[in-house]
Amino acid sequence: MLKINNLHASVEDKVILTGLNLEVKPGEVHAIMGPNGAGKSTLGYVLSGRDGYEVQQGDVSFKGEDLFEMDIEERASNGLFLAFQYPVEIPGVSNMEFMKESVNATREQRGEERLSATEFLKKAKEACNQVQLPLDFLKRGVNEGFSGGEKKRNEIMQMILLQPSLCILDESDSGLDVDALQVVANGVNSQRDSTRSFIIITHYQRLLDYIKPDFVHILADGKIVKTGDASLALRIEKEGYAFLGKEYEGASA
Amino acid sequence: MSQWLTQVIDDAKRVDDFLAPMRQQALSKLQTQGWPHARSEEWRLTPLTSIKERTVEASSVAVNYIVPQIKGLNPIDLVFVDGVLVTNLNDIRLPTGLSVHALSDAPSAAQTKITALFGHVKPTRHVFGLVNDAICQQGIYIEVDENCSIDTPLRIVNLATKDCDAHTRALVNLGKNSQLKVIEHGSGSAASFTTAFAEYAIGQEARLEHYRFAFFTGAAKQVGGSHFSLQDKANLNSTLVAYGSELSRLDVDIIHAGEHANAKMNAIYLLAEGEFFDLHSTIEHAMPNGTTEENARGIIGDRARAVFSGRIHIHRDAQKTLAELNNRNLLLSRRAMINTKPELEIYADDVKCAHGATVAEIEEQALYYLLSRGIKRSKALVMLNFGFIQELVNDIDNENIRTWLSPMLSERFASMEVK
Amino acid sequence: MSEQIEQALDRKYEAGFYSQIESDTFETGLDESVIRRISEMKKEPQWMLDWRLKAYKTWLKMDEPDWAHVKYPKIDFQAISYYSAPKSMADKPQSLDEVDPELLRTYEKLGIPLHEQEMLAGVAVDIVFDSVSVITTFRAKLEESGVIFCSISEALHRFPDLVKKYLGSVVPRADNYFAALNSAVFTDGSFVYIPKGVRCPMELSTYFRINEMNTGQFERTLIIAEEGSHVSYLEGCTAPQRDENQLHAAVVELVALDDAVIKYSTVQNWYPGDENGKGGIFNFVTKRGICHTNAKISWTQVETGSAVTWKYPSCILKGDNSVGEFYSVALTRGYQQADTGTKMIHLGKNTRSTIIAKGISAGNSNNTYRGLVKMGPKADGARNFTECDSLLIGNKCGAHTFPYIESRNPSAIVEHEATTSKVSDEQLFLCRQRGLNPEKAVSMIVNGFCKEVFKELPMEFAVEAGKLLEISLEGSVG
Repeated sequence: MLKINNLHASVEDKVILTGLNLEVKPGEVHAIMGPNGAGKSTLGYVLSGRDGYEVQQGDVSFKGEDLFEMDIEERASNGLFLAFQYPVEIPGVSNMEFMKESVNATREQRGEERLSATEFLKKAKEACNQVQLPLDFLKRGVNEGFSGGEKKRNEIMQMILLQPSLCILDESDSGLDVDALQVVANGVNSQRDSTRSFIIITHYQRLLDYIKPDFVHILADGKIVKTGDASLALRIEKEGYAFLGKEYEGASA
Repeated sequence: MSQWLTQVIDDAKRVDDFLAPMRQQALSKLQTQGWPHARSEEWRLTPLTSIKERTVEASSVAVNYIVPQIKGLNPIDLVFVDGVLVTNLNDIRLPTGLSVHALSDAPSAAQTKITALFGHVKPTRHVFGLVNDAICQQGIYIEVDENCSIDTPLRIVNLATKDCDAHTRALVNLGKNSQLKVIEHGSGSAASFTTAFAEYAIGQEARLEHYRFAFFTGAAKQVGGSHFSLQDKANLNSTLVAYGSELSRLDVDIIHAGEHANAKMNAIYLLAEGEFFDLHSTIEHAMPNGTTEENARGIIGDRARAVFSGRIHIHRDAQKTLAELNNRNLLLSRRAMINTKPELEIYADDVKCAHGATVAEIEEQALYYLLSRGIKRSKALVMLNFGFIQELVNDIDNENIRTWLSPMLSERFASMEVK
Repeated sequence: MSEQIEQALDRKYEAGFYSQIESDTFETGLDESVIRRISEMKKEPQWMLDWRLKAYKTWLKMDEPDWAHVKYPKIDFQAISYYSAPKSMADKPQSLDEVDPELLRTYEKLGIPLHEQEMLAGVAVDIVFDSVSVITTFRAKLEESGVIFCSISEALHRFPDLVKKYLGSVVPRADNYFAALNSAVFTDGSFVYIPKGVRCPMELSTYFRINEMNTGQFERTLIIAEEGSHVSYLEGCTAPQRDENQLHAAVVELVALDDAVIKYSTVQNWYPGDENGKGGIFNFVTKRGICHTNAKISWTQVETGSAVTWKYPSCILKGDNSVGEFYSVALTRGYQQADTGTKMIHLGKNTRSTIIAKGISAGNSNNTYRGLVKMGPKADGARNFTECDSLLIGNKCGAHTFPYIESRNPSAIVEHEATTSKVSDEQLFLCRQRGLNPEKAVSMIVNGFCKEVFKELPMEFAVEAGKLLEISLEGSVG
């Protein structure tokens, strides 16, 4: 699915990733944890192709192709989905028309027919119910006036509609209460199958109580410094990042 | 051409001092552009007829005058009476780092600095600014040294006690990383005509706390301006409070000549009877990353008329500017009138700019609350709306000025009957 | 990313073709004899000629306005032809079968089929080609309900009293420089009369096309809505692509008598000039309506064309409780300049007005909102709300807001808000991360920005306006 080899990347001349390696196979769930400023969000942005994130070195293959050869929207319609930590508002553009365009762009890429308005509406309603957002959220402007939790659920709804093959969740749990967290987790779990992979970027172990990861990686200083199973996350919860070495002692879990 | 302007130009030709080259430029501009056209955007709403037909009355030293006091402020006062500087600069003690010179008596080192500042901050489009450039010999130059913070406020007072033409000028230079408080205080009701202009060059990281009180009333006519240029990271906090008179017009220009400068300006006008007041403000963002916040609020009673023009101009290079301007007005009578025009002129795309203007905006919920407590509708409206003036008074940094202004404004407001 | 947005905004002008149609065109130049000839060709009554000549004399004494935020070369009024009509129009065709097929093809190419059976049901069209009205469709059906929809030349003969009573009653002959010129030389335009209590059974529409070279188009539209009547009127316009500037100086007058409602929508797509700012239409238009008691006039405009636009559709809210609305989208790119807005003059009690103006500037263009809200001394309880939003794309363009507010009534409330924004990188990134290409993303964001205005357009036009923006945003993206 995804193979990251020795990735070095920077933002505004500040080096953030310094030789990151990661392989994600179909059906796997990888959690990436790490102290603040380790480069977790940067990884998501680099993979999705955000402007301003410069790749200095290394390569990434996505479904066997060179990821860096693709535009942002090509990566998206090829099945790479990033759930944003802070989704932006687009006033006046309804969630409905936005997602319809988005879904159809992906379908076109796959050589499928565009969905009719009725077909799309049916799917959208299902997804909306699944993340427990009232149906009028489909009519409202994209993220316009949504609360933090509503924005996160809106991201998961889009993920469900788009049926991507690789989902990167950037702190989709931050700022959520237990109920909302469960909604997000259920949304993700409902999408798990043998072909779809997940990268879950999180600061807290909490989300991993609900979404069981196959691997847990610790990202520090721009590279993965430790890899384990779900028990590694629990250890961080208890001990913080101190066991990584002296310099992380103060870092909060 | 106006009779008054023709005479002023003749008189100005006889002025000869170290500012001669600048005076000459102003004169030739005056001669080419002449008296403002009745339709000119800058002047069409300002009643200039009384000046146009006026006969020039030379000033003379006044004998009796009272300088208005602001309790507890204890400023260094520089007093002009009917356009003549009456403060003997040798008598005042100045804190270290602060120097003050009369234009007529400036040492040659100061003359060089004056020449560099005179007419360089104030835009040349202003006809009475040009008059002042050409003819004004009563003025002061104030300078704060680099890294000096002056605690004692400086007050420049303009008093109008008799029918004459008065032209005064203030030039203020704030060195790098310096701090200064300046109050321009105008007062009087005699049938005079005053042009009082001030130019401020605020150096890098310097801070200016500025006040302009335009308390000319009755037959006193005044046209003047305060003009500011801000260097990198300079900071301006200005408060303007005005009453109206037969003719009262102020122009404020804030020029962001350096990056990361911050400007804040609040303006209050309370107009009674047949008063007129006209405020033109222009914010020029010429450099990136500047911020400006301007709030102008006025209450216009009886037969009074207010004009507000607030322009924000974002130049091509001024990316990442944040600029906001808001003007709120309340009319108290059927014969009162307001013309307001907030303008945005924007040539850079990555900026956040907003302006707003309202006339008699009511906060429905607050109104309902007062009505439900048995307060009469007309009274409730006034209470709510004086609240928005009070808000700006409360925003004033200097406590002495706040305590002085607050009761004075509410008293004036109380006398402005709601009809 | 703004580079990509700018590229996305590059577009072709699709209505820029020229039709080979034989025309009778006056030689260029303007003097009294030209005005007499226009009047004579139209067999006008003496009073109409006198009216024109008075307007001409006033115009000669007037100065071209220079207060707008636009720059253009001085117009040579002697280099313009003031009349041009297809030869086939010498005898006005009575039905579509008699219309020059090349003319019909022109309109088909523009997406406006004129055969009634092919048309969108529910829209009657008056076609103005250069200086004359070519044909008006669905007349019979409209006349069943007493609605008159014909060219103004025809109205002058059939309903002289109505024309005489209302022509110039809202926009006086000497109102402004371009209105005075129009009053002197107007050649045709549409006339609409809705009788008392009648709800016009279909949308009325006029489609303006300038075809000939060196001609100016000076049309005049007059809409009278009697007490309690309703009408919705649409206006569209295009012109061939030429290197020379051409002048369009129209006057539109709306009269909404007690309780009447007039909705007037425009999609303006005159040729905007090429990518270097060469050519294009000068669109100097005076549009104004008067509202009597309880009446309502609503202006909606989508302005994407013209090299220079100077246009302020306005409402005089004379009657108590009358309502004025102005909804506008103005998109400028290349070297286009638009100075547009509205005037809301509140005279009556409890009058209400709403202004929503959206300006989008790209390329080297300048886009200005200019508006006046005036509360008269008798406008007790009057209320205005104004919102002006500008969207800047790239940093070679300009977006300006000049609202004038004047109030003389203590119980009147005026609220004005203006903001400016850009298509943010974050928005573009979110759209692209969801698989949309930059063109689609920009067009979606811009459409969202304009939504409040588009929802005011009649259905048929909303689709056209949406498409127009789509076309505007089509182009190569690297």
